[in-house]
Amino acid sequence: MTRSKHKYRLTPSAALGFGIIAIYLLVALFAPWLTPHDPLASLGGAWQAPSRAFPMGTDSVGRDMLSRIIFGARLTLGLSLASTVLSFVTGISTGFLAAVSNRWVDGALSRWVDIMLSIPQLIFALIIISVFGSSTAVLITTVGLLDSTKVFRLARSLAKDIAAMEFVEVARLRGEGLWWIMRREILPIASPPLISEFGLRYCFNFLFIAGLSFLGLGVQPPLADWGGMVRSNAGAISFGLAAPFFPALALALMTIAVNLVVDWFLAIHARPSGASAEM
Amino acid sequence: MNQPKITSMKADDIQTARRDFMVQALKAAGFAVGGSFFPVSAFAQGPTPKRGGVLKLGLQGGSASDSLDPRLINDSIMMVAAYALMNGLVQIGPGGKAEGELLESWESDDTAKKWTFNVRKGIKFTSGKLLDADDIIYSINLHRGKTVSPDRGILKPIQSMTKVGSHQIQIELDAGNVDFPYVLSDYHLLVVPNGFTNWTKPDGTGAFELESFTPGVRINLKGKGDGYWKPNCGNFDAVQILYINDTGTRTAALRSGEIDGANRLDPRTVDFLIRDPQLTVVRTRGTGSRFCFEMDTSSGPFKDPNLRLAMKYGINREQIIKTVFNGYATLGNDDILDPQMPFYDHALPQRHYDPEKAKFYFAKAGAAGRNIELVTSTGAYTQAVDCAELFQQSLASAGIKLNIKRVAGDGYWSTVWMKVPFCASYWGRRPTADIALTTALQSDSNYNDTHWKNPKFDQLLAQARVERDEAKRAQLYDECQKMVYDDGGILCFAIGDYLDGYSKRVLGNAPTARYDMSDDRICETGWFA
Amino acid sequence: MFKAIVSRLALGMVTLLAVTMLIFAATEVLPGDVATAVLGQGATQATVAQYRKQLGLDQPAPIRYWRWLSGTLHGNFGTSMTNQLPVAQEVAPRLRNTLFLAAFSALIAVPLSIALGLLSAIHENGLIDRGTNVLAVFAISFPDFFIAYILIYIFSSRLGLFPSLATLSSGMSLAQRIHHIILPAVALTALVTAHMMRTTRNTILSEMSKPYIETAFLKGFGRIRVIVRHALPNVWAPIITVVALNLAYLVVGVVVIEVVFVYPGIGQLMVDAVSKRDLPVVQACGLIFSAVFVSLNTLSDMLALYANPRLRRGAR
Repeated sequence: MTRSKHKYRLTPSAALGFGIIAIYLLVALFAPWLTPHDPLASLGGAWQAPSRAFPMGTDSVGRDMLSRIIFGARLTLGLSLASTVLSFVTGISTGFLAAVSNRWVDGALSRWVDIMLSIPQLIFALIIISVFGSSTAVLITTVGLLDSTKVFRLARSLAKDIAAMEFVEVARLRGEGLWWIMRREILPIASPPLISEFGLRYCFNFLFIAGLSFLGLGVQPPLADWGGMVRSNAGAISFGLAAPFFPALALALMTIAVNLVVDWFLAIHARPSGASAEM
Repeated sequence: MNQPKITSMKADDIQTARRDFMVQALKAAGFAVGGSFFPVSAFAQGPTPKRGGVLKLGLQGGSASDSLDPRLINDSIMMVAAYALMNGLVQIGPGGKAEGELLESWESDDTAKKWTFNVRKGIKFTSGKLLDADDIIYSINLHRGKTVSPDRGILKPIQSMTKVGSHQIQIELDAGNVDFPYVLSDYHLLVVPNGFTNWTKPDGTGAFELESFTPGVRINLKGKGDGYWKPNCGNFDAVQILYINDTGTRTAALRSGEIDGANRLDPRTVDFLIRDPQLTVVRTRGTGSRFCFEMDTSSGPFKDPNLRLAMKYGINREQIIKTVFNGYATLGNDDILDPQMPFYDHALPQRHYDPEKAKFYFAKAGAAGRNIELVTSTGAYTQAVDCAELFQQSLASAGIKLNIKRVAGDGYWSTVWMKVPFCASYWGRRPTADIALTTALQSDSNYNDTHWKNPKFDQLLAQARVERDEAKRAQLYDECQKMVYDDGGILCFAIGDYLDGYSKRVLGNAPTARYDMSDDRICETGWFA
Repeated sequence: MFKAIVSRLALGMVTLLAVTMLIFAATEVLPGDVATAVLGQGATQATVAQYRKQLGLDQPAPIRYWRWLSGTLHGNFGTSMTNQLPVAQEVAPRLRNTLFLAAFSALIAVPLSIALGLLSAIHENGLIDRGTNVLAVFAISFPDFFIAYILIYIFSSRLGLFPSLATLSSGMSLAQRIHHIILPAVALTALVTAHMMRTTRNTILSEMSKPYIETAFLKGFGRIRVIVRHALPNVWAPIITVVALNLAYLVVGVVVIEVVFVYPGIGQLMVDAVSKRDLPVVQACGLIFSAVFVSLNTLSDMLALYANPRLRRGAR
């Protein structure tokens, strides 16, 4: 088929997306060498406008915004990555399991997930973090587990659809075990939508962590993530001051880049119809 | 004491108040006979107020679990609403002196143990009942003995309360206290009819009655019309208080004219509001909240006084005031009192950031390598996290490592405050040196959050309570403050200014010596131009 | 079919019950309790013990849970532990507000997203497709409170078109109410439209690779007809699932919007109640949220069953 040869050709928008992501990764890796000022030191007044000394102005406590953003790259990208990986590993394994198991296992898992989904996420996070404290590990685990419920639904409905197809029935009749079926029959076909979902959930998780900082539950000082920075500088918006826009733009650019890549990825794979639970 | 330059806003009122105050402070603060027939000084603003209009306030400081039960009031929104509906016993005038509210006058014997209070006559509750001594006794008793009220502690010295006449009561204390009337100015002590318990619709002697109350959302108050007993007060037809806890939204609503008054403006952006010709910003200088980091002196790393001094020298107060408070605060000096209070010890040298001294005391405490953790939260005070971060940096420059643990605001006061070795906290102003020092630092006080137990200090306090000679009293308080300054666990680095915002149309909103929003009484003192 | 409905409903009930137990247990586990939370700085051993006794908190957990449950089954949701108001009285107006905002946003968002999704699929890679894609990505790239503040800044502070406070009061007419909630509704609509629209578009397009579509084209039908009459009916299931999830979000997940716009809905009430450990209110809110979620879920599950004959048959 001629398709396979042209399959992986990059479109301009995909190239842009990859480019932005690459820059972000580099910034995260080399952060300590890139910051023009000490990101923790208060050097000026609060919410000063961009100037030669401070290209992005200062934040709510007089720290250089540019340095803060570079400094926050690691944590923002890293936290989101860790929690999304956790969420997918958990969600996919439980989702596939539910799809191919008997009614009881499926029922129990689905009910459990329903229960978790019907409690508002912020409340859930509030409860867990109040009990376990708000270290980075707890944050990752909380966000990861909460998010895995959405992945569960997608994985399960994808797997169910695929499992209903004849070739899976054939495999089952052949006597293949559960894991084999999940790994060799379902996963390859479910991969494309799951991979694109990974990209989307990755972006969503930055925003979820930002939302947590709204309740004061986010990252511990002196560490800072971009979402938390938007929150702590939000008071400046109603006065038209630039401060919160910079971390918000940093987040937005990343999200846009990931979405461009995901769109390209989706365009080159046939997608089986299934519920893409994009919340 | 430096005379601060007054910038815009209601400069005149502040100047007048301060002048009055200085005169009073030179005389005496605790009287044997006190009160006044009509607390005119608090209310006479010059021009006669116009009546009418609906005041819309957007305030921070409340939640969906609020209640108008005086025993449970602990934040601004309930305080403002409560003072609109009910009156207290004693109020603090603009000069910081105790003035009679529903207790119109008082006198005590020489020991300052036996007090006689006269109840104001001719005051009516919303229900129509006339105020008498039984109502006063009942209202005070709500806060004594087995009660959930935080005033339990300060009222413990009351041994007995007896009704001497239809409008006179006698209170006997277990030890003398010349400042006792100030104790009765506590904002929890509000007066309701004898036996009243329906807190969903309080019956009070205030200028307003309750029309509707949705906790966490809004409170609607209706004016009771002419005939409010305080002259020139109760001018609005109605008041609506909206809960707006988010500062950005509250400020936006003030600027767009959706509300006529807002509290707790952000000092970092208040300059924009000051420049706005449609708005007035009322600033109460140097008498607002004392922002602190409290250290547990009885156990843990801060048992060593050297470590405490290291912390006190390791914080850059000027930097914090400049960046976090944008200059809208005055330097704190590790004392609970502020320079405008009587008996403040002006001789104590102002501490500044001194990394060398910090290093020295830190080494002396042998604390190198120890894990020192400061717990902070926006639930303590809005700027607590920012201040902590700057503190961490200034200590780092002195070679001292401080870990910060930021926790959610939720439950801060019940799970963190007074329970960890080092945490953020704040103190509201108390009307007298005695009340302030006792509440924060007396060995057996409920609120002694630094767990500081110093018998000599307690003794000095007790002596000062009965001392009528001003000079001797000042000496005693000076000694107390020196002890706290040198040895105490209170790291008070800034005393915030209160920043209230109003539409230009609102008058009668002068700053007071106690709380913001005109001592939470804006509903009764204000009027529209 | 009827059996499926009944069993789904029964499962829903079980879920509801489990949610209440989970919430109860979780709130129990939280450090502190309503006494210390409400009394705050005023909490001492003595005052706390007194408060607890007044509220009957000194009784063991299972008994308190049972009391609450039996009360609820009789329609009595108890009284708030903090301000002694009946829970139903506190929750009902908030629920009305939340439902009002959710319904209004949904009324705009659902038709809009399906229409845009369809249009994008039909004109794949055309101007409309790219344009809506860009807008959608923007809508989901910023934290919700950021979008909210920006809306207030532009439309309220600068242009003065809409109020920044979405607080409703009883005397308002419908038109006035709508005027007050437009900004939060726009914020919410932007968020959920982005998701629903992308899903609609993507599921339709993925359906396009199926053989029967190719057949339809070969038969000579135009693109619009093929999409609307052939592809769309087969992809209702996943679309409905996503719509249901987003509708649930509109009711359950909008605390931040409520805080920024000062909109008195249920989200903020529940956060406050959890902070104060006010169990009856937390339970009532939790019950409402899960009821909304479970019913929307059940509805979409049943519609999905109906749409995919293979699943309906129960074949594995």
